[in-house]
Amino acid sequence: MNHIVYMSRAVRPLSDQDLKELLDQCRRDNALHEVTGILFYSHGHIAQLIEGEPSIIDPLYEKIAADGRHSHVMQLANKPISARSFSDWSMAFHPLEAEGFKTLEGFFLPHQVPQTPETLTIADALIVDLVRQAVFGPQQDTLV
Amino acid sequence: MREQQLQTILQHMPAGIVTLLGPELRYGFVNEAMQALLGGHTPEGEPLAAHPGPLTADIREVMGQVYESGVSYVAKAFPLPLTEPETGQVVPRYFDLALEPLHDDHDQSLGLLVFAVDVTAQEEARQRAHTLSLETRRLDARLRVLTETAPQITFTMDAAGRYEYVSPQWYYFTGQPPTADLNAIWPLLIHPDDRLRVLYQSEVARTNGVGWTYEYRLRRHDGQYRWVLSRALPELHAPDKPVFWHGAVTEVHDQRELAEALRRGEEELRFLADSIPQLIWTASAAGFIDYYNQHTAEYSGLSPKELGPTGWVSLLEPAEQALAARRWVQSVATGQEYEGLCQMRRHDGQYRWHIIRARQLADARGLRWFGACTDVDDQYRLRQVLQTQYDELARTNRDLDTFVYTASHDLKQPLFNLRGLFDELRRTATFTDPEQGDLLQMVDQALGQLDGTLHELAATVQQQRELAAPTEQLDLRSVAEEVLLGLRAQVEEVQATIELDMGAAPTLLYGRANLRSVLHNLISNALKFAHPERAPLIVLRSSLSDSGQPLLTVQDNGLGMSLDTEIAAEAVPALHTFERQHPHVAGAGVGLYLVQRIIDSRGGHLVVNSTVGEGTTFSVQWFE
Ligand SMILES: Cc1cc2nc3c(=O)[nH]c(=O)nc-3n(C[C@H](O)[C@H](O)[C@H](O)COP(=O)(O)O)c2cc1C
Repeated sequence: MNHIVYMSRAVRPLSDQDLKELLDQCRRDNALHEVTGILFYSHGHIAQLIEGEPSIIDPLYEKIAADGRHSHVMQLANKPISARSFSDWSMAFHPLEAEGFKTLEGFFLPHQVPQTPETLTIADALIVDLVRQAVFGPQQDTLV
Repeated sequence: MREQQLQTILQHMPAGIVTLLGPELRYGFVNEAMQALLGGHTPEGEPLAAHPGPLTADIREVMGQVYESGVSYVAKAFPLPLTEPETGQVVPRYFDLALEPLHDDHDQSLGLLVFAVDVTAQEEARQRAHTLSLETRRLDARLRVLTETAPQITFTMDAAGRYEYVSPQWYYFTGQPPTADLNAIWPLLIHPDDRLRVLYQSEVARTNGVGWTYEYRLRRHDGQYRWVLSRALPELHAPDKPVFWHGAVTEVHDQRELAEALRRGEEELRFLADSIPQLIWTASAAGFIDYYNQHTAEYSGLSPKELGPTGWVSLLEPAEQALAARRWVQSVATGQEYEGLCQMRRHDGQYRWHIIRARQLADARGLRWFGACTDVDDQYRLRQVLQTQYDELARTNRDLDTFVYTASHDLKQPLFNLRGLFDELRRTATFTDPEQGDLLQMVDQALGQLDGTLHELAATVQQQRELAAPTEQLDLRSVAEEVLLGLRAQVEEVQATIELDMGAAPTLLYGRANLRSVLHNLISNALKFAHPERAPLIVLRSSLSDSGQPLLTVQDNGLGMSLDTEIAAEAVPALHTFERQHPHVAGAGVGLYLVQRIIDSRGGHLVVNSTVGEGTTFSVQWFE
């Protein structure tokens, strides 16, 4: 079992519709391939963590990295993990029209994203915390 | 019959045919195509001039002359405005009109045979080609202006490596006369160290039919060699071999020097960072480490790749990792300097104390973090050893002090008694031996000396105390923590909880050694008289009295003691009581005695309140 973390920039801002389509497609395909993780999106900033068998997620990462919707894809981690930290695949972003999204499965508003799982090593959790901060900006509770 | 057939063929030929007879050029045979061309009205026998159709005067005149001269003529691409039968639109069409004189057997002129072949398509193509060539010429002129004004030398070279064209900039740059033999001179202007490489690379590119990009030094008109970038692409006449290479030579001297300086600067910095026996690293604006110096790999035994962008945190002592990670996220969020004292794991598993410090640098190239971890383990351990030794020394010193003071104090009373007894003896006893008078004298002297010595001893200790006590603004919490560090063993032994509540009056102007001594004795006292049945809780609280003077209370939940009211007000005797009540606890009296004395010497005041079985509270009024 491996996980991969990367950050990237959207080539052009993603609309609610774009995001919803991405959410639907990824929920479906990732569930099919037993890929779990989370994606953060805000103002063109993207970060994603995916977990799964290397034989699945390595080619998936190659495909995602080549996706024309984003560029400047920078891999931050690709390493073995002892167990999954995410139960499914979800996405967190700020839709322009929050109404249609509230009830969607696998969707979070940025401030509702659960705490970084304890099952990650502290170094890996730090990667997730830093990418989340890079995408959404500082969280209130870190600014004590 | 043959005649008839011929007529039919001629009638339907796609080319127009008409015979014009006699000097008046009267209409004779007109086939269908010609009929259409002439507008349909060609009555046989009528002169052409009466029904000219679209034929203009000039062509009719030429026809007359051909008739006269008997020499044929072809009018090429002659425009005839034709009316389209369906739409009625007039469109220009072009015809080659062949005018053939007709003769009878005696060579007499009979008339003209006119052939009209529609060449509109050819003519239009020709005209298009003409406009195109005009446009090409215009573009060519524009290209020339562009190539000759751009700050570059442009050139065209053939497959043999001969220059076909070079823009005037070459002459400006090199200072060569326009008559210079380009092919002979150019190679000579290339820096001798670059020449062979350039000629070779160009040749290889040409044989392989590919373009090239290379840099070399070219001699400028003032004799200086300047770095230039030469780029060329082949012009392909597919699928054959390219015949020409077109390219440009751009001066890149300044950029190259700048880039060189930057690269050198960066290389030197990196070299510097790699030679320092510290862990040095840089991180992106988002907080991901993108460079670890050589020493980091040597120290940790992990490559930069193994460490990864946040791997430093896994080198820390496990208990310190979470806090350090949180603080780093916070520093990245706020841009505040990161600083910490942490233990970091060496490749052999040993943890060593490090000071970690990271600062943000924002410049034209964006925002970055620069960090360093300094190994302070030796210093840290040395400090700890020194601290323990210092504490021990200070304690011994204090004990000695107190011993001398107490001894001199306690010996005073017996000495006083001895002096009284001796005086009484001298007054009442009779001595017969005269030498005994000297003996008495000697005893008297000895007693006087003893008294003096005791006095001096007490004075010396007193003086030393005061000398050793320069005052300064002290942070009560940090001094208390230092003292607790020294008492760690005792605290741990009885599992005591110690609460510091210094918020109301956090600082005090006092002698450092004295404050330490007061705190040390009061806390160790509280630890000594802990109640055996409950975990000791000691609360130190600093506050301001009603009159605004600083006040320290040390409250415990220990054994406590009974005090008579009178004594409670005056602390000193209480201490003796204290000692008497707990004969099993050693050394309580001396320590508290010292506390009492220190506080006294600064004009302060010590009060004790206690309840047996519940606990004791010492209140120190630092100043009256
Ligand atoms: C930012 C981003 C994240 C993506 N994440 C996933 C993902 O987690 N799983 C997935 O199947 N496709 C993901 N995709 C989509 C893939 O790049 C790709 O478009 C999709 O898998 C469809 O591939 P296919 O056309 O080969 O079926 C992501 C695309 C982008 C732009």
